[in-house]
Amino acid sequence: MARSGHAKPGEYTPLELMAVCASRVIRDGEVVFVGTGLPMIAALLAKRTHAPRAKILYEAGFIDSGAIDLALSIADTRLGYRAAAMLSLIEALGCALQGGRVDVGFVGAAQIDEYGNINTTWIGPLVEEPVEGAPEGFPSMRLRFDLERVRAGERLIRLPGSGGGNDIISSAKRIVVVMRHDKRKFVKKLTYMTSPGHLNGPGARKKAGLLGGGPELVITNMCLMDFDEQTKRIRLKSVHPGFTVDDILDNVSFDLIVPEHVPETEPPTYEELKILREIDKEGLYLGRR
Amino acid sequence: MVEAEVEDKRITLKEAVKLIPDGAHVGWGGFGYQRPPMAFAHELVRQRKRDLTVYTQGSEIDIDILAGAYVVKRFELAYFGIEGIGLAPNIQRRLAEGAIEIEDYTNLAMAMRFLGGALGVPFMPVKSMLATDLVRTCTFREKKCYVMKCPFTGEPVCLVPSIRPDFAIIHVQRVDPEGNAQIDGVKGIDAELARAAKKTIIMAEEIVDYEETRRHPEATVIPNLYVDHVVECPWGSYPMQVHGYYDFDLEHIRMYYQMCRTEEGWERYRDEYILGVEDHMEFLKKIGLERLLKLRARRPLGY
Repeated sequence: MARSGHAKPGEYTPLELMAVCASRVIRDGEVVFVGTGLPMIAALLAKRTHAPRAKILYEAGFIDSGAIDLALSIADTRLGYRAAAMLSLIEALGCALQGGRVDVGFVGAAQIDEYGNINTTWIGPLVEEPVEGAPEGFPSMRLRFDLERVRAGERLIRLPGSGGGNDIISSAKRIVVVMRHDKRKFVKKLTYMTSPGHLNGPGARKKAGLLGGGPELVITNMCLMDFDEQTKRIRLKSVHPGFTVDDILDNVSFDLIVPEHVPETEPPTYEELKILREIDKEGLYLGRR
Repeated sequence: MVEAEVEDKRITLKEAVKLIPDGAHVGWGGFGYQRPPMAFAHELVRQRKRDLTVYTQGSEIDIDILAGAYVVKRFELAYFGIEGIGLAPNIQRRLAEGAIEIEDYTNLAMAMRFLGGALGVPFMPVKSMLATDLVRTCTFREKKCYVMKCPFTGEPVCLVPSIRPDFAIIHVQRVDPEGNAQIDGVKGIDAELARAAKKTIIMAEEIVDYEETRRHPEATVIPNLYVDHVVECPWGSYPMQVHGYYDFDLEHIRMYYQMCRTEEGWERYRDEYILGVEDHMEFLKKIGLERLLKLRARRPLGY
């Protein structure tokens, strides 16, 4: 039997708290679209605690995965263990996701702006030039890299790109962003917008034709953030035990909305931690304690 | 009664790669760690192919090898990384040199582009990409995508151009000499890709008898009429995985990642594991039987 009640600071790691926060977003019976990493662990935790009937989907085509071993790749055979079906990308991303059947999707971010728009593609000296005579509807700008600046030592970093990230944010009903907290990641202006958050405010997603409701929660190693109803801008929701509001403000590069009262994030329970450590026995994603 | 003669499409890996001319447009099968045509990538490097355009969902060290060896000039894809390990190492240096260009789509968009090619229609609509830099900007394909209002409902949609690559390269579990291919586990986009390409080359872990596939036609994912060449290639996805056959070799993948963080390290990897061996069999010998057998899939897990 695990001890009851909430764990004390020092008894869990920031990654464990993040996984627990992510699992709590999942409601019983929901269809959940996850990638590998923390969201996978979070979904497994939810299934073993409050959401046993949640159905986990992976973009390679694993439907209602029954995986017991953690996967390194979203196409990893491990995810097929006791799955309801093993089909295709068009099944998972097309029929299930774009078809409007996914309740909650998890994504990561290398950069996020104050409306929850996300970059997972490029970091570095990008320059744009107009595409001469581009007809309306086609891309109007051509991306170039300033290779002079790269030669002078500026870093050009190719991040993985969208993968299924843009598809998930475009079409899942609710979106949860899981990312490491860093001032360089919470930026005023993205280097490149891979995935749409709330674009430039209320109503923008609907006008653009996007199906899903957009990001509703951002989980970092320091805090939880949600989005202000009126402006659709990021708002501090709670700070993790051991952090202050000032710590958070020091680690964002835009004007974060801070409510008058900011509660502390509910820590993991001993029960949640016990299951979590069973799920990631080897510390593949949670690290070794 | 005289049995009809069964067509035999078998060729060797070396012969298959010889068919790919410099500058060809190639659809690259597999997805993530699952069934990438690794052995084909190695042989493309050995035969010093150049200037390919590769269309793929997202691949890992297979296409990073093609980037490192300057086999590919352009990629159209959704993902370029080594999942669970880090950023793809070689592509970082090639981009900084200006040697390679990437046109970015999403996984659904690329899948629909292959489906469009398979269906013989010029484009497909998606509800992804809208309102982002994926539709606002392009790199080398000026008509990368087209955002319009649906003529029926008035809602915004993004049209993406179908792909009809010169070749599709797909690694599967089993195929018969006539080209009936069976895929276990997730299919990724290989069913669509095989039907989209002008010529489809199927590599397989096993060549099975024609009678075997005819006895289980429900297991055929890619039937003979879409397949031009068949290549027997056991362990053809090593060090990545093949559902039901073998797991990935994490140690080798990590070694690749570590070595390729520098140009010198990549050259050492290339010289030792790719150029330093005569062919795929020599590569497998170098890896060693003991190591390969440890990766064999266990039942009923499939990994």
